[in-house]
Amino acid sequence: MTLPTQTLARLLLAPLLVLAAGMLVKGYTDVGDGFAAGLLAAVGFVLQDVAFGQRRAESLLPVRWAYRLALGGLGLALAVAVAPMLAGEPVLKHRPEPGVSPVKVGTLELITPVLFDVGVCLLVLGTVVTGLHLFAHPGEEEEQRS
Amino acid sequence: MILLLAATVGTLFGSGAYLMLKPDLLRIVAGLVLVSNAAILALLAAALDRGRAPILPLGDGAVSDPVVQALALTGIVIGLAVAALLFVLAYQVYATSETIDLDELSQLETRREQELEQEEVSV
Amino acid sequence: MSPVLPLMIAWVAAVVLALLDSRRRWVAWLVVAALALVFASSLALLLDVLAHGPRTTVAGGWPMGIGIVFSADALGATFAAVSVGVVLAAVLFEALHGTRSRTFGALALFLTTGLCGLFLTGDVFNFYVFFELAMIAAYSLTTYGQEARQLRAGLVFAVVNLLGSFIFLIGVAGLYRVTGTLTMELVAERVATVDSAATVPIAISLLVAFLVKLGLFPFHFWLPTVYASARPAVAAILGGALANIGAYGLLRFGADILPETLRLGAPVLLVLGIASLLYGSLQAVARRSAPGVLAYSSIGQVGYVIVALAIGGPVGYAAAILYAVVNSLNKALLFLASELRGWLVGLAFAVGALSVAGVPPAAGFLAKLEVLRAGVEQGAVVLGLLVLGSALSFVYMFQIYQHDFWREERSVPAGGRAIGAVTASVAVVVLALGLWPEPLLAVSRRAAAMLAGGAG
Repeated sequence: MTLPTQTLARLLLAPLLVLAAGMLVKGYTDVGDGFAAGLLAAVGFVLQDVAFGQRRAESLLPVRWAYRLALGGLGLALAVAVAPMLAGEPVLKHRPEPGVSPVKVGTLELITPVLFDVGVCLLVLGTVVTGLHLFAHPGEEEEQRS
Repeated sequence: MILLLAATVGTLFGSGAYLMLKPDLLRIVAGLVLVSNAAILALLAAALDRGRAPILPLGDGAVSDPVVQALALTGIVIGLAVAALLFVLAYQVYATSETIDLDELSQLETRREQELEQEEVSV
Repeated sequence: MSPVLPLMIAWVAAVVLALLDSRRRWVAWLVVAALALVFASSLALLLDVLAHGPRTTVAGGWPMGIGIVFSADALGATFAAVSVGVVLAAVLFEALHGTRSRTFGALALFLTTGLCGLFLTGDVFNFYVFFELAMIAAYSLTTYGQEARQLRAGLVFAVVNLLGSFIFLIGVAGLYRVTGTLTMELVAERVATVDSAATVPIAISLLVAFLVKLGLFPFHFWLPTVYASARPAVAAILGGALANIGAYGLLRFGADILPETLRLGAPVLLVLGIASLLYGSLQAVARRSAPGVLAYSSIGQVGYVIVALAIGGPVGYAAAILYAVVNSLNKALLFLASELRGWLVGLAFAVGALSVAGVPPAAGFLAKLEVLRAGVEQGAVVLGLLVLGSALSFVYMFQIYQHDFWREERSVPAGGRAIGAVTASVAVVVLALGLWPEPLLAVSRRAAAMLAGGAG
């Protein structure tokens, strides 16, 4: 790819990640949620793949870990869902409970659903990056397996 | 409004179904994606006429039902996953059979069955 | 006991195992252990539900009507326990055989998650989500083996069933439109007051979706290729566990949520059921290979479930549930045994064959008897056709038994003794249910009484 594309892809990565984080945080009072945030962040990484090509993108970014990242995100979301069950409460019950005012950082309320959304965000990010990476170079999968 | 949405859902579903009748795997997948969007639009249409979209800040007047929006979002996510899976499957079929034409694929299938039958006879 | 327990165990295990390689011995056994735990918890849930009545919980502790409802009743818990049991047997079989794919274990567990979720949910849309989760895992499992024909079968399977899923989703949209709620209990209450002009199209879209899943004639065209080309363990999961979705869905959405519409459509179902029964049986008689016969036999066997459902009432519903449960055990047993040889497997296969044919003392006898009992009210023609179907099933089962197990040159022993033992233990379950049918009868009658008694 040409130099301008590469520079642009590089320059766009950080803003996209910030935008994604913003989406995630804003999601509780405005438009946005973990899924959208994950997609935005994935766009940032996929751009690098497109601009630099497979090999260099792999050396620049830990693409190989995306699959584990996705499962980690799913695990985090599930943990938030399951944890209340261990305490004998219904599944997905969130803390602090409705009515109790939570600690606030700016507009973000620190409640357990935020963790759930972070999990969703990681899951989407990992899945999209892994998926598109494998689509671009299907042979890789076989190499990784063997 | 309802009529318009119904017509759109119908057109989407119809175009999807038409594409799915083509003997080309990619068109079939594209057809399914259209059908999935028809289903998502049907979900949205189930409550869209009850007011404006429920996006903050809420203005005056009726706000439409947020439940269907959540359902549509889930539907979109599932649609994405399904489309990705289908593309992978279509690619794998191409990688093993070197064609994405259904007629050629079924010819391969018949040839294989004939071979099997011959084996059966020789046994 | 919380109704989400089996679901959550399966889900967490699936995520953990997705990180590991199923081809390693210890991972394969970990999958088996996780599934055994899910099976134990779903059995415990079933016993709990039978002793103390339905269990309901709302996600997040929200009030009813706002949060997503999970609910386990006799019907859902029975189907969950049977399906998880079948998956467990298939995975055990594959673990002994040597798993060949990295993702097999995780996919089987995701499929179990989906099945548990949809059997134990009380929410219409949540049903769709878990249904899709189970189906996506199933599409990937069909390609297990990575041979060209398995990939082609997987693609056909995925395309046809996805079309069914989206038609189901449109039906869900319609249900929400006319009732304004997604909780099954409330939907059932409110839909009773809705004009039948609105409920009939919704019911048709749901019916089409479930008939595609079940592979009932004339929605069966995808089924033979898929069942015949999948590996035995996968075919057992598809035929023994996944097909339960169709039967359960028809019972839940038909008998529980839309009973009036089901009554309207009963003649159609009766005709479709009998057509499927005869078509499947005749095609099966004409086949020579075991997987082919079993695939067409599946099309025929689900016909009995549909006929019993169409007859309706406590007797009909009980027969449908009983037949669905016994049929899923039969299919699991026969698919697992179909590619093995040896006297133990031969015996196990014979039990399965007798069960499909409806010969005592196998459980199939009991199931057929219940369907015939329900069919008596329908007059001589229906009864005669049901008996004809039974006779045909005896013919084709005997044919493959003779063809595969009596011919000397083919009796090469494949697989170790342990695999034979897995198959034999499923056969023992089928026999035991035939010899001591009271618990299964009681469970199905209980669930049927609940369905016939209206909502809940």
